[in-house]
Amino acid sequence: MSTLSENPFVGRRPGRRWASHGAKALCVLATAMALAGLLVVLGYIGVKGMAYLTPAFFTHLPLQTPEGMRNCIIGTAILVGLAGLVGVPVGMLCGIFLAEYAPRRPLAQMVQLTMDVLAGTPTIILGIIAWQLVVVPQQHQSGWSAALALAFIMVPIVARATEEMLRLVPQPHREASLGLGASKAQTLFRVILPAAQAGIATGIMLAVARVAGETAPLLFTALGNDQAVYDPNGPYPSLTLKIWQYSQSAEPDWRHQAWVAVLVLVTLVLLFSAAVRFAVRGRQPRRS
Amino acid sequence: MMGGPEAMNSTAPVQSAGHFGTGNRQNIRRRMLDTATAGAAWGAVLLTLGILLTIFVVLVHGSWMGLTQIGWRFFTSQAWNPVPGKDHYGVLAFLYGTGVTTFIALLAGVPLSIGTAVFIVRIAPCWMAGPVSFLVELLAAIPSVAYGLWGCFVMSPWLQNHVEPMIYASLHPIRLIPVGQYPSGQKAYFPSNLVRGGPSGTDFLAGGLILTIMILPIITAITRDVLAQFPAEIEHGAYGLGATWWQTTRLALDYGRVGICGAILLGMGRAIGETMAVIMVIGNTDRISASLFAGGQTMAGVLANEFMEADHPLYLSAMFYVALVLMVSALVTNLAARGLLSRIRGNLTRA
Repeated sequence: MSTLSENPFVGRRPGRRWASHGAKALCVLATAMALAGLLVVLGYIGVKGMAYLTPAFFTHLPLQTPEGMRNCIIGTAILVGLAGLVGVPVGMLCGIFLAEYAPRRPLAQMVQLTMDVLAGTPTIILGIIAWQLVVVPQQHQSGWSAALALAFIMVPIVARATEEMLRLVPQPHREASLGLGASKAQTLFRVILPAAQAGIATGIMLAVARVAGETAPLLFTALGNDQAVYDPNGPYPSLTLKIWQYSQSAEPDWRHQAWVAVLVLVTLVLLFSAAVRFAVRGRQPRRS
Repeated sequence: MMGGPEAMNSTAPVQSAGHFGTGNRQNIRRRMLDTATAGAAWGAVLLTLGILLTIFVVLVHGSWMGLTQIGWRFFTSQAWNPVPGKDHYGVLAFLYGTGVTTFIALLAGVPLSIGTAVFIVRIAPCWMAGPVSFLVELLAAIPSVAYGLWGCFVMSPWLQNHVEPMIYASLHPIRLIPVGQYPSGQKAYFPSNLVRGGPSGTDFLAGGLILTIMILPIITAITRDVLAQFPAEIEHGAYGLGATWWQTTRLALDYGRVGICGAILLGMGRAIGETMAVIMVIGNTDRISASLFAGGQTMAGVLANEFMEADHPLYLSAMFYVALVLMVSALVTNLAARGLLSRIRGNLTRA
């Protein structure tokens, strides 16, 4: 017969209530520290960036007076666009394959493994790969090579988002469509993708926000450019590269520029990722 | 009776053709679309497999000279001297830098992340859990160069002027365990050796702390999802037996330990591969020192700093060798994480 002393939670455990309160307090403290970290990082970026922000930042070029980074902002946008031209379709098709086509399980697992490995590959290594594949044969840095490196990063993110969202579309939708005589591709384009479009769009936006902030893969590929030159065949201007370059200089003006650039970059990236979440709230199938 | 099914087959689809179209010409288009879509999906998948293969081929091909000429000595030497003729390459210092910064990041980041996840799932009221979750996830959206800039202009000076002097003052006089000798002949003691050299601000500690912030969101998000799966029956049963909140929470942590380990490994993978934020605060010297206040370098960091300067074949090959070692480290960590998380991925919302 069981007695109270055999209870694993109660018997001979003095101070367990205090321990519980203490643990709870520690968890609250941990959360407070995490949020404080966010606040401090964003706060400094906001304050320092705002202090040196001038309209010239958006209208002038580096090394002009007054200094600006117009070309870098445009360059980053074009690089991300070029990367998306390759990364988004390839990623979506991989996601579609995993969710809808994967004919034999071993292959599907291999593809999933590939996606996980790609997603976990340090981005600087993807920069080296793009350097070897494009820069070495061309013998000069180029926007193309940078876009390729960024596309490598986008593929697994977009694929994962697409696969997850397609799996959330109820099976009866497919059966009903096929039952009406639709082919597999028709079912995909007219039933499944429209049902999952909000979620997939979120995934793409998050991938865009992610690669817009990448620096390491651009070091050996884009190289940076102080002119308003947007020919992908040559060295390419990029906001993140400029931040890195200016942060290394002893010139106070350049450091100030770096803060402004970080403010602009973080604002764009956070607005993008936050806006997307709010925009599709309730329009995509719930994840949890 | 005999013609029944035949008639159905030949007439019914035509009458209901409307939306999806089953006419003869449409039929051909349908099939072409089907084939094209399947072909495109297959093509994309093969392309992706090709990318992965290419990564390894490029890395092994690039490092071939290093693999054959340097071989295993790469892992036993910490000297890094790229001067042609007298050049000598060892990855040990960078391996150590990556290891130490990752270790510090996990040491600080794991309790913080798990505490935050427990707060979100088991303490916060409903109206609070969502926003807190969202804010922590925002940490993942901030680009690493932004962390780097903040780290090198705000965190490093703060560490140097306020935090490290305090740690130095408290640890420097403590000489508990003798741990060998410095090259100068002076005896080294733990934990005094951890702060040797005095505050610098650009050191292993700074690298580890910046990584702590960066791995927080990923570990928190997955741990949160794992904890949310803890069955209410067990929770209610535990409370019914008189368990306190913490005793119940420990059951939940134990229940999700596989997933939490997976989360930690994913965070570790992120820390190993992180480049920009670390090189902006770690001091960039190729030394091995037990001191937290000593400058160092990581594998990703040396690639970022020196890859473009590699001006002769063996140097470049050694850089590729470092990249290969980095890739394998990240790969092993990620595969381990995947192995742990795949067991529970079916139920997980994100992983």
